[in-house]
Amino acid sequence: MGNEHITNNGLAAEGDIVLEVKNLVVHYVLKKETVEAVNDISFSLKKGRAIGLVGETGAGKTTTALSIMNLVPDPPGVIKNGTINVCGYDILKLKHNELKKVRGKDVSMIFQDPMTALNPVMRVGDQIAESVRLHENVSKAKAYERAVEMLELVGISGERASEFPHQFSGGMKQRVVIAIALACSPHVLIADEPTTALDVTIQAQVLDMMNDLKKKFNTALVMITHDLGVVAKMCDEVAVMYAGRIVESGTLEDVFNDTMHPYTEGLFNSLPNLENREAELEPIPGLMPDPTKLPPGCSFAPRCKYATEACSAKRPEPRKVSDTHTVLCTRYDDPSFRIKRRQSNEQHVS
Amino acid sequence: MNKKSSQTLISQKYDRKGLLSEIWQRIRTNPGAVLGMIVLCILMLTMLYGIFFISYEQVTKMNPLQRFKPPSAEHWFGTDEMGRDLFLRVIYGLRYSYSLAIGAVAMAFVIGTFFGSLAGFFGGRVDTIIMRTTDIMSSVPTILLGMVIVSVLGSSTLNLLLAIGITASPMFVRMSRASVLTVRGNEYVEAAQAIGMSNFRIVFTQALPNALSPLIVTLTSRMGTAILEIASLSFIGFGIKVPLPELGALVSSGRNFINPAPHITIFPGLFIVLTTFSFAMLGDGLRDALDPRLKK
Repeated sequence: MGNEHITNNGLAAEGDIVLEVKNLVVHYVLKKETVEAVNDISFSLKKGRAIGLVGETGAGKTTTALSIMNLVPDPPGVIKNGTINVCGYDILKLKHNELKKVRGKDVSMIFQDPMTALNPVMRVGDQIAESVRLHENVSKAKAYERAVEMLELVGISGERASEFPHQFSGGMKQRVVIAIALACSPHVLIADEPTTALDVTIQAQVLDMMNDLKKKFNTALVMITHDLGVVAKMCDEVAVMYAGRIVESGTLEDVFNDTMHPYTEGLFNSLPNLENREAELEPIPGLMPDPTKLPPGCSFAPRCKYATEACSAKRPEPRKVSDTHTVLCTRYDDPSFRIKRRQSNEQHVS
Repeated sequence: MNKKSSQTLISQKYDRKGLLSEIWQRIRTNPGAVLGMIVLCILMLTMLYGIFFISYEQVTKMNPLQRFKPPSAEHWFGTDEMGRDLFLRVIYGLRYSYSLAIGAVAMAFVIGTFFGSLAGFFGGRVDTIIMRTTDIMSSVPTILLGMVIVSVLGSSTLNLLLAIGITASPMFVRMSRASVLTVRGNEYVEAAQAIGMSNFRIVFTQALPNALSPLIVTLTSRMGTAILEIASLSFIGFGIKVPLPELGALVSSGRNFINPAPHITIFPGLFIVLTTFSFAMLGDGLRDALDPRLKK
């Protein structure tokens, strides 16, 4: 087992793809209905890069993240199709025993709510040390030593390693959770809305720290969030999810400045404008469709102001706009189609 | 040895008290627990006195002239229907009651909690098998189940312990299952999976410690029931054999003479109450002490 890991570490050099998700389909099969949580998504991530999975609640972001760890609750979760490759491991085909070795070592996860992600009856130092000892053959004292180092790395004094989680504030708990996730310097780190439970000033601190650590360990980061600001700060690439599909993906530049999909435009329009504070917000009308009864065509069509009949008739195919930029929208069949945001962008340029 | 030395190394370096000393610290500040502990200590010392200084002959010697004597300077607890000194009999009998009760409840706790937490954590088929077996066991009256076990295995102290232990375990299965179910959904359990911990390890290092409080209270309150069960089995001849004194057996035999000589039931009964009560107090304190969130 040891050798495998060493060669793997060697392989994952700069620019290597450490995470590849292909045609992933995850459904939650209930007695009466099937929730189509993730429908055919693909993306890949290179070492040291960060991708932001953006979308509203119920878009399938967390399910995607859990699939990468093969932690989708089963039942009712069923991974219907797809492959997930993390550092050369075919995650969905691994047996429980092998999976144990990959989780925490090659791919790790930061959970949404730091208040409940720590075991209340264990000292934080022991919890970090536990993660080290699960994957590395080191003595208890050595592991504890590492735990204290990790704590200091996330900006908590090492003396506090012997305290219990309830003695920490929310932001500090999240730091501890991050320390646990990074204790074995994984190649891929999944952060599932790591700052949602924190207040804004602490959010900024935690994000800065994550950015530093990401650079330090050269970890690939999958950032799950609904906060576009967080994405702009942390990520190199963006994938916008809607009803279990990636509707637009590309580099930060592509998606933020050269927005193509009407849904992405809607997301940006519902943000307050800093330059023109008087400007009215433009919310996206309606709600996300019921994931048990997705419309036959484009899932966004019922809420889309550009939608035509063709949109609700057939599922849109991914369309490559440039090498990096992909959009999922039938309207671009018409070469002259532009969403409003782009039109104004183009006016700016000209 | 190696483990121990690295542990002390950690404690020295990071000024970290051992878990036990910390629990001790917290128990010490709880007056109820201290009271329970003191009473238990006295009872245990009394039991030891009985083991070392009271002989079998002393407690079985009959004296027809001294029947039903109330408490006096000569016989502290009075005498029973055969003229035997009740004080000596009670003290002599403590060893059976205590060793059996503690042993049986500890056994029930270990067996019950093991299966119960597995059932609660894994759910599905494991849960069904374990819980239905438990249902079957608890649908048979405990005394009957105890009788069956003793008569199949033969009547001896060890088999009595097994009988009481097994009949007491369904309760622990239920309690631990329910308790583990409530903590299973917590994120730290999922987080433990995410760092690659095995399920077995998660059950016993993450889920169970968080589900322990109600179990500890049950553990201590179950002690009294166990003493009574031993008594019932002894009474119908499946437990401690007749001339030997045992708290429950003493109560049962005194029952027939409760009107002319109530002291025969009262004194052994008092010891049962005292034992149960002090175990409960200690258990309560222990529950608080084991929960780091209540730390002051």
